[in-house]
Amino acid sequence: MTILVKFFGDLRKKIEGFDVKNSLPLNLDIDSDGINTIADILNKYAIEKEETGHLFVNGTYSGFKKKVKDGDRVGLFPNNMKLLYKWYFTKHEDE
Amino acid sequence: MPKNRGEIMSKRILRIDMTKLEAKFEDLPADFVALGGRALTSTIVAREVDPLCHPLGPNNKLVFAPGLVTGTKAPTSGRISVGAKSPLTGGIKEANAGTNFSQKLGRMRIAAIVVEGKHTGNDYYLLKVTMDGAEFVNAAKWLNKGLYEVYKDLFKEFGNKVGISGVGIASEIMGAASGICFNDPEGLPSRYAGRGGLGAVMASKGLKFIVVDETGAPGVEILNQEAFDMGVRKLTNALTTHDVTKPGGALNSFGTAVLVNIINEAGGLPQRNFSSGQDDRSEKVSGEVKADEIKKRGGQRPHFCSPGCVIQCSEVWTKPGGKDPVGVLEYESVWALGPNCSIYDLDIIGELNRKCNDLGLDTIETGDLLAVAMEGGLTEFGNGKGALKLMDEIKNKTPTGRILANGTAYVGKAFGVTRVPVVKGQSLPAYDPRAIKGIGVTYATTPMGADHTAGYAIATEIMGVGGTADPRDTKKADLSRNLQIATAAVDATGYCLFIAFAILDIPEGLEGVVDTLNGVLGTSLTVDDVPGYGKSIIDTERAFNKAAGFTEKHDRLPEFFLKEPIAPHNDVFGVTDEELDRVWGE
Repeated sequence: MTILVKFFGDLRKKIEGFDVKNSLPLNLDIDSDGINTIADILNKYAIEKEETGHLFVNGTYSGFKKKVKDGDRVGLFPNNMKLLYKWYFTKHEDE
Repeated sequence: MPKNRGEIMSKRILRIDMTKLEAKFEDLPADFVALGGRALTSTIVAREVDPLCHPLGPNNKLVFAPGLVTGTKAPTSGRISVGAKSPLTGGIKEANAGTNFSQKLGRMRIAAIVVEGKHTGNDYYLLKVTMDGAEFVNAAKWLNKGLYEVYKDLFKEFGNKVGISGVGIASEIMGAASGICFNDPEGLPSRYAGRGGLGAVMASKGLKFIVVDETGAPGVEILNQEAFDMGVRKLTNALTTHDVTKPGGALNSFGTAVLVNIINEAGGLPQRNFSSGQDDRSEKVSGEVKADEIKKRGGQRPHFCSPGCVIQCSEVWTKPGGKDPVGVLEYESVWALGPNCSIYDLDIIGELNRKCNDLGLDTIETGDLLAVAMEGGLTEFGNGKGALKLMDEIKNKTPTGRILANGTAYVGKAFGVTRVPVVKGQSLPAYDPRAIKGIGVTYATTPMGADHTAGYAIATEIMGVGGTADPRDTKKADLSRNLQIATAAVDATGYCLFIAFAILDIPEGLEGVVDTLNGVLGTSLTVDDVPGYGKSIIDTERAFNKAAGFTEKHDRLPEFFLKEPIAPHNDVFGVTDEELDRVWGE
């Protein structure tokens, strides 16, 4: 069972063995075992929270505590790609 | 000759009578002194234009106004506003652009150029503006020509230091999709006050170009240098340290098109004439891919639209090998001419954008009308060559081209399409209101017709009134109202809206903006004065629209946004009419 994680921009450099050759996002189907939140995905790839910008789960603008499950699509943008109309978006979190 | 007040030259209005081919300077009326940009264009249009006049007749007026601080050393402040009654919406219109043309007017102490009347013959004119006055030059030799070729000719003829404003072939056929073009620093015809068909208004008067030569200009008068300098320091500091606006930040590195992947991921990037909110083929036309290609091709990135910008989100896109420079490919343009037409090829998008610039067309309106034309069967979705051929119909002034040049709503009627994404006749930009409802409320209720820039500014926190920010929460009236008011105020200053990112998060940045205004005007405004100033602009515009026949029933999105759910959120707009009416109601 997997979660589709899309790594954009510089976050792709955090994936061991991935050779960044162009500017397309890196799509990884990751095993969902042991992954409950966005923070778990970041931990798995040793991505610091400060290195991230906008985060999405199935199109919903999300915070680190947002829960993820099998079949979800997660989009992770780096800090240097922050450009949302933040007034129209608020972060969804799960306690 | 300009009037002098002692040794200090007062700010002036340059009034151009196209019926008599006369130009004269007037002193700026005392009650206009604190008005610039959109505040001045909308005030002059509201005072001097009959709301029921034909937008392309002799009684409409076209007003150009630099912002209050434009032409000074204030960073990122090179905007010009252009206003009139719009042939696209039938209401009041302000469209703006970043260009050194605006800075030159500011330094010449020309607060506004008001173009009125209508030349009765078939001739077109170029207006050359200098410190001493204005001169009319017959422009017949530049008719039926693309603006890339013409701007080269004009810079050759008038020198590299002039600023140029002009209209293209689409305006010669009175197309309501036509914009007013300004030069970028490379001299390319790529900076547009694009929206609302203002190009057709200019052409309707017999005016084709305005060339500004600032030789001998005294510069912008600054009444309190100390306050001004302090403001510049604070704002520059905020812009160069904030993640979004600093060198190496998102705008500087990737341009506005960094939003392609972000809004696609949010499920709000309209595809195939607003029939889906997400398609991963959009990744091939993202700002990141574009920035890479520009580097490979020898274009320019980053780049500024006007001198003194510290954000520098602009660029010069070219064909492979650095050929045929286009200018910037903005997020809205890439989306409109790309994913919205199911076109996922940057070379085709670049070529379509070049044709828009060449013919004098608004890229948003053009992308939307092409998608509606595709839905109407003129060519297939995704057919780039077909889209380019449709652009040639406009160039050749064929009957089909004349339909296309009149915008999305007109094309929808001509070809029996019912999914027509317009509000007040103006087509929607690159955010689907079913996925991002707050911007949908702004599309519906701004006096401008669907406009993403009408509600894009300082946050609710600063404006002191609530408003939720969940994109799919339908209670958005307070948020939209506050954003529209704040935006109207920014549009008067000449600052680019992108300063909002920095001045929202860094309070000294916003203080800096107010300090620079105090420096120029010699006033003692505070941040608290901003909302009242912005609200008065919107009130003026809404009063004009009301007199032109608009009611609350025009503050609505088209039916399909209320009935057709969009993937991936499978949601409709869902904001009630009562909530929409609450934006400007009691």
